Amino acid sequence: MASQPTLKSSGSKSITPSNKAQTESSEDAVTGGGVEFDPSPLMVLLIDSDPDRIKIVEEGLAKNAVVKHAASVHGRALIDLIGELQPDVLIIDCESPDRDTIEGLRTVAQTHPKPIVMFVEDGDGSLARQAVRAGVSAYIVDGLTPARVQPVIDVAIERFQLVNELRTELKKSKEDLAARKVIERAKGLLMEKRELSEQAAFEAMRSMAMKQGKPLKEVAENIIQISSLLGD
Amino acid sequence: MLEKSDLRIGMARLTDGIVFAIAKEMGAFERQGLNVSLSRHDSWAAIRDQLALGDLDAAHMLSPMVAGSAAGLGPFPHIFATAFAINLNGNAITVSNSLYEQMCEAAPETMSRRPLSAKALKRVVEARAAAGGAPLSFATVYPFSMHAYELRYWMGAAGIDPDRDLSLSIIPPGQMVDSLAAGVIDGYCVGEPWNNTAVSAGLGRTLITSSEIWSNSPEKVLGVRKDWAERYPNTHQALLRALLEAAAWVDKPENRIAAAQIAAKPQYVGAPFDEIVGSLTGENRQTAGDARVDMPDFNVFYRYAANFPWRSHAKWIMAQMIRWGQAPADLDIDAAAKEAFRPDLFRIAAEEMDAPCPKIDEKIEGAHVHSWALEEATRPIAFGPDRFLDGRRFDPADIEGYLLGFDTPERRTNGAAKVVPIVKSATA
Repeated sequence: MASQPTLKSSGSKSITPSNKAQTESSEDAVTGGGVEFDPSPLMVLLIDSDPDRIKIVEEGLAKNAVVKHAASVHGRALIDLIGELQPDVLIIDCESPDRDTIEGLRTVAQTHPKPIVMFVEDGDGSLARQAVRAGVSAYIVDGLTPARVQPVIDVAIERFQLVNELRTELKKSKEDLAARKVIERAKGLLMEKRELSEQAAFEAMRSMAMKQGKPLKEVAENIIQISSLLGD
Repeated sequence: MLEKSDLRIGMARLTDGIVFAIAKEMGAFERQGLNVSLSRHDSWAAIRDQLALGDLDAAHMLSPMVAGSAAGLGPFPHIFATAFAINLNGNAITVSNSLYEQMCEAAPETMSRRPLSAKALKRVVEARAAAGGAPLSFATVYPFSMHAYELRYWMGAAGIDPDRDLSLSIIPPGQMVDSLAAGVIDGYCVGEPWNNTAVSAGLGRTLITSSEIWSNSPEKVLGVRKDWAERYPNTHQALLRALLEAAAWVDKPENRIAAAQIAAKPQYVGAPFDEIVGSLTGENRQTAGDARVDMPDFNVFYRYAANFPWRSHAKWIMAQMIRWGQAPADLDIDAAAKEAFRPDLFRIAAEEMDAPCPKIDEKIEGAHVHSWALEEATRPIAFGPDRFLDGRRFDPADIEGYLLGFDTPERRTNGAAKVVPIVKSATA
């Protein structure tokens, strides 16, 4: 894939000083650029064995981040390393077999989700845009120079946090909705079988939840399960 | 005639990618007017992304990657489809020598029977938990893979809940053996040559093959983008014809040694011939030094209408996704299976190549303990057994009923559960 190092403006345009929303003060310092003293610098885990890219990334992040290398660590050991280091971002070779391991972390274990940055050569930038839109959680870019590394990483982190927040919200509202359905169903069962009023059925479940120290949804699930076990 | 003749196809570093290598080396692509450049990849995610983003025209893919996309899972929902199954069977579960010995000690009576049950493993798991030890660690190659569902099925049949009782991770095929050797994992489910390699090196024991878990189960497919298939229908058909020709050649027992020589080349699997040939000829080593076990159907590439993309296969895969909490219980499996697997497109190519082809899109899986003949086909087709390890049947018309047979209450009650679980213990 031949391509000339022409970096798209998208790499730097979202680097605005509006990172206030981020929780860690270190990120403010980092995006400010050129800050000499930083109590907790960005932790970057680099999983790439290409010497040119390693050099560019290290140069680009020299001032603001700690770059750890993990190109020779694979599988479980890599998972453990990620758990131990808690990097702010992973930079990975897009063809690296370790990509599957890291994806597995998200889908199987659903722990330590981290923003991932992949650098690939991409002539017209369509790959990069599509990948980001598709939510690969990667920021793909070409024409890598040391000066571009930091902005790209900042965008990836910012994007990742945004998507994560949206996802968490969506998940929560889905769960709330599901819980409400289960509770309604259990309430209906109690009303029907015990001939209770709606209010009394709800109170019965709530007092059981309090007594057992369990969420209302769990109590409702138990009621439904036991009821199906006993038959209608 | 062809909308596109220069194609880029991606393949993984696995023996079952041999069909692509053969199609190229034997001129099958050329005969269909296709100029194919094959690239080999070490990451399923890399193959998936490049196919999704148009960098590849078609790819060697895990059947559940395509099914998962149609089920709305992963970063590229509703993007992929397949009209061609590359092979049946081909995976196995291998454990470290140390775990094997522990299993023998824990339940010697179960260890000589085939197919080997995971009961001994269950005892080891329980003993470790009772002693406060760390859970055993197992790996598969991708969250949406037959490897994952086979490993889970085998364990589930013995009462092990892989999510609760074990530590599961994803390790690319080429790194499995090293991980086992280094002691970071205790076992894995992977395709060849990575079971034979561990056994040959004296690092582990293969316990069970995927064909013993589900005989003639689906494995890899030819993945394409749905919009690609619509845009390049003639090219797609030419590709299917070329692969049918290559698959028929590879499937013949007398060609398997030549196929292994090609697969061993550095640009394909790039592993020693000796480690590759066993799975292709169906003579697998189960234990270092022991006699090879004869498994002529270890890799099926053409016979039994192996290339037909059965919708019942797609549906079984999606049912497993629900069973293990990857997909929501209210997933519209009918629609997703129609989207993912395209037997209609396969039939066109099969007719052109005069290959026998099923006339039905789905069948009851697990109904045949022995070989049988499919009559609902362009001409009767001999089929191998499709038995499941535990004797269950999968009726694609009653997936809800099928799922009721599995006891996974804690997962079932998460989210909007439509299927009411069979509760064996009232409280978790």
